Amino acid sequence: MSATLLTPESPEVAEPEEAKPDRLRPILATVWRWTSALGVALIIFSILLLTKGANPFQALGDMFKLTFTSSRSVQEIFIQMAPLVLGALAVAVPARAGLTNVGGEGQIIIGAVAACGAFLFLGDSAPGGLIIVAMFAASMIAGALWAGIAALMRLWAGVNEAISTLLLNFVALDILLFLIYQPWRESRTGQPTTRELVDTAKLPVISGTQVHIGIIIAVVVTVIVWAVMRYTRWGFKIAVAGGNAEAARRSGLNVSMLVLSALMIGGALAGLAGMIHFAGVEYKLRPGFGYQLGYTSFLACWLARHQPFPILVAAFVFASLSVAGDSLQLDSSLPAATINVLTALILMAVLGWTAKRKVSV
Amino acid sequence: MSLIVDVLSGGVRGGTSIMYGALGETVSERAGVINLGTEGSMLMGALGGYIVCVETGSPWLGALAGALAGAALSLLHAYLVVWRGASQFASGLTLLFLALGLTSLFGATYVGKPVDGFSRWDVPLLSDIPVIGTVLFQQDPLVYLSFAVVPFIWWLLFKTRAGLLIRTAGERSESLTVHGYSVKAVRAGAVTAGGFLAGIGGAHLSIAYANAWFENMVSGRGFIAVALVIFAVWSPIRVMGGAYLFGMALALGSALQARGYNVNQFALDAIPFVLTLAVLALLGKKTVSSSPAELKKVFENAPPT
Amino acid sequence: MEQHVGPRRPLLAVLGLTKHFAAVKANTEVSLEVWPGEVHALVGENGAGKSTLLKMIYGVYHPDAGQMIVEGTEAVIDSPAEARRLGIGMVFQDLRLVPALTVAENIALAIPTGVTLKLRALSQQIREASDKHGLSVDPNAKVGHLSIGERQRVEILKVLMTGAKLVILDEPTSVLAPQEVEALFSVVEHLRSQDFGILIVTHKLDEVRTIANTATVLRGGRTILENVKPSDYTNDELIEAMVGKSVSDLTRRASTVVTTDRAMALTMTGINAKGDQGNLALKGISLTIAPGELVGIAGVAGSGQRELCEVALGLRPPVTGEVTIVGKKIGNPRDALSAGAASIPEDPVADSIVGRLTVLHHMVLNGRRLPAGKVGIDWQTVKSTTDTNNDRLGLHIAATSRNVSELSGGNIQRVILTRELSLDAELVVAAYPSRGLDIANVRRTQEILLECRDKGAGVLMVSEDLDELMSIADRILVMHDGHISGEIINADFDRQRIGQLMIGGAA
Repeated sequence: MSATLLTPESPEVAEPEEAKPDRLRPILATVWRWTSALGVALIIFSILLLTKGANPFQALGDMFKLTFTSSRSVQEIFIQMAPLVLGALAVAVPARAGLTNVGGEGQIIIGAVAACGAFLFLGDSAPGGLIIVAMFAASMIAGALWAGIAALMRLWAGVNEAISTLLLNFVALDILLFLIYQPWRESRTGQPTTRELVDTAKLPVISGTQVHIGIIIAVVVTVIVWAVMRYTRWGFKIAVAGGNAEAARRSGLNVSMLVLSALMIGGALAGLAGMIHFAGVEYKLRPGFGYQLGYTSFLACWLARHQPFPILVAAFVFASLSVAGDSLQLDSSLPAATINVLTALILMAVLGWTAKRKVSV
Repeated sequence: MSLIVDVLSGGVRGGTSIMYGALGETVSERAGVINLGTEGSMLMGALGGYIVCVETGSPWLGALAGALAGAALSLLHAYLVVWRGASQFASGLTLLFLALGLTSLFGATYVGKPVDGFSRWDVPLLSDIPVIGTVLFQQDPLVYLSFAVVPFIWWLLFKTRAGLLIRTAGERSESLTVHGYSVKAVRAGAVTAGGFLAGIGGAHLSIAYANAWFENMVSGRGFIAVALVIFAVWSPIRVMGGAYLFGMALALGSALQARGYNVNQFALDAIPFVLTLAVLALLGKKTVSSSPAELKKVFENAPPT
Repeated sequence: MEQHVGPRRPLLAVLGLTKHFAAVKANTEVSLEVWPGEVHALVGENGAGKSTLLKMIYGVYHPDAGQMIVEGTEAVIDSPAEARRLGIGMVFQDLRLVPALTVAENIALAIPTGVTLKLRALSQQIREASDKHGLSVDPNAKVGHLSIGERQRVEILKVLMTGAKLVILDEPTSVLAPQEVEALFSVVEHLRSQDFGILIVTHKLDEVRTIANTATVLRGGRTILENVKPSDYTNDELIEAMVGKSVSDLTRRASTVVTTDRAMALTMTGINAKGDQGNLALKGISLTIAPGELVGIAGVAGSGQRELCEVALGLRPPVTGEVTIVGKKIGNPRDALSAGAASIPEDPVADSIVGRLTVLHHMVLNGRRLPAGKVGIDWQTVKSTTDTNNDRLGLHIAATSRNVSELSGGNIQRVILTRELSLDAELVVAAYPSRGLDIANVRRTQEILLECRDKGAGVLMVSEDLDELMSIADRILVMHDGHISGEIINADFDRQRIGQLMIGGAA
């Protein structure tokens, strides 16, 4: 995407909900709602820690300190953030077309499986650059096709994509397990994993850090997704199809193709997330590969209300929480999964108390 | 022959927890609310049941505690979607995370603790019937309870006022309002009752089926339950059949392996999911058209952007 | 009614009810009385304040001022439950039955039966009640399988079984076929003979004459005629009460376009098409519209007008038959749009509006090529074109930056009209184009449709307003039950004859 995309040629038109003079009050109200919601989440989490005999102030304080003051864990946040951003965009793009993609989990796995397959197919001796390019292509195509199954089921049989993508997650997991326990298993003894990716094909790190370039890719893709949704005809068309499919049909849009393309692009983004996690962090497939990445991304997308740039923030928050979970485990000897409670409380607060509109039942 | 009996019997045993979850989801979806948190309610039920069973030594108290824990989580779902207007999908997944976190926080100390859960109890006389007796009447008490729960849920949905209100909430909620009922209360009740049943399903897993507690032990059964309800076209009776079918697919692998066949467990594990997808794809339009109308709206509603 | 002895008092007397919303004076000092054994027609045009009045009587709205007296006692009706307790039953226009449930289950919703539904006993009660009131209803039928007329009978039965003495029917005939109207009226007659009071809302004068003993006419939220005998008034007097001083007619002008050696704007040949319920909604329709011709479609609502428009636009694939627009065969919506079709949908909010987009965004949803900018869509050009068209058509659409979800129905209609009628269309399919508009904009819309015609477009216009059709159409086709029951050309327009055709009578 060239820079001309970003010049404000026509944004007043593209986003007519421009600021009005009396906008400060609602902003303050929003800020208040968010802070109070998050505060309540923290208080409830503290109470839970208390019941387990941990001192919440100390636990939270240590958690914060360990998470944000050590350069290692800050770098870890950016490493974990990359697949979350892409996974959340994989929810946001279909959401624009009115689709609920709960299949990030499976699409991420399939993307990683395809990346690994590309590597195994090319072999260790292939040039690293070629392997990387092949992994990019394979993961995105595989993710798109995997999501395409759900799209076709919706178009042909009217099966809701939330259900089908959810079920496909389990199928993807079983494919992963099948491959690493049998055909792709490195050794019959030892842990069931695949062969490690050759060093030349691992994602390079940003110089001076241990952070691989996945985060840069994620940010660039975020900008591209934002620009595509905001400025292109396709972006406009999926918004119409997502807002009112009948209106789209009546104005001559090919709603089926829009549904298919939006969900497949979502799948491709999730597949890319899987590849980045594979080639940047794990280097091999193992049984717990990418566990909960997809569901966390789904929730990150909701936290960001399906908007690309806020997704960066939401992914940062969730990545921090995940890193904090590890430090919580180290420091207070509470299970790392405990942090899921805080994640859930924050989301409940956001879903329940900062919603723009309420039901009118 | 013994293979078939093993698979059938294992199907009933393993399918029962899914069945409770799916019955709960049926009640909830009949009222127009989809609850992906069923997975979480089952987790809560599994741990709640386990803790109480370990501490009191009574599996029945354990089952009750599991049910209450499941109901408590679903009540949160009800609150978020019914009163706060949250997305049903997002809220359900959020509550799954809450359950994952809570159960690992409070369950850590129970991992590996011995439990004296439900044990097999053979029904006198009936259990001697060849095949049928082995399959249906050499089981644990929660399986027998489910034989009563299925017709009870059917009766509740189709023969009682409560069921009429639930179905009306799921078919045309404004008709409830017209007659002076609260749609919110009916839906919240149905969702919570659904969580209660899912909680029993979770307890069945930890104190009757596996007799153990470990993190994330439900591992997708709650999601299967959600899919099963659609597969069963929102009928409690068909949910029962579907749950046993799923249970059998799960039981087939171990039964084959026990006999020295080299089967790939993961291919078998995938069967229930692939089967559900295939059935949905085949029945697709027909199933969707017979779904509760208000639920259809949930599915068709675009996520806000 | 004179045969009754003892003290008689109205079932309901409404005295000086007033209800104002922010800017809208919905009801101002409205009064009427409904007596036992009386059919009282509440008459008025759309927007006259009828529904506000009903909602106050039924406890949905609370009046700002005035009183309601139920059987001699002043009542505060603060909820529908209270209204029902007082014996007031309401049959809503859109019927609130649950299609997936049986008749008995639907009625059980309204009647306390304890914990279980006791469906067998209830079915028996339903049969008895339906015999008593002359409403044939099968308690075990699924409501979704019943016709609209049958559903209405179920609603009436439900209201009676909950103990109503006053039955309110909100525009019951607007959704019915003519035979069903007759059946309904015989039920109403039967109820009157059993001393129920019936308040029936309508805007059709012939119905007032057929069924009502008493009428109250609302206009602009005020009672113009109060508790009068319809037979004391002529049609013209009643019409004037309803619509006020009659507005001067549009000057009718014939089409001047030369149509020889041009392809027909629209042809439909042997069209059979299914409705949403899978019923055959169009039965052997053939028609042609020439370029420069405005053809009106008249008919009782639900006679197949919607399906006709959708088939013409390629939105609803016919079972058999062929559609062409300017000679091009139409298989899907894109075919129709690229052949030069424009359309005003029957229900713009459901079918044309994307809630989160702005007015400007909607201006490009016309099936024409999206204007290309450097990247994506050139919104500047869209804006300037929109401004030009808005000035030219003069329907004064809302600011283009507004979100359509904030707009009223009339404003949305003007957006759609401006978008579609500024296209250089070969065919304009306009379903109820003046719906929701005030009188000035109705006139302007009719002018624009005539301008489209004069520029050579074929216009297919559906309307429920016969006068509107007669004032601008070159030819009227009357639809009845999926057929075209008759065709009348401009010079021979005759209300009586069109009315006959609408109810399926011989031409």
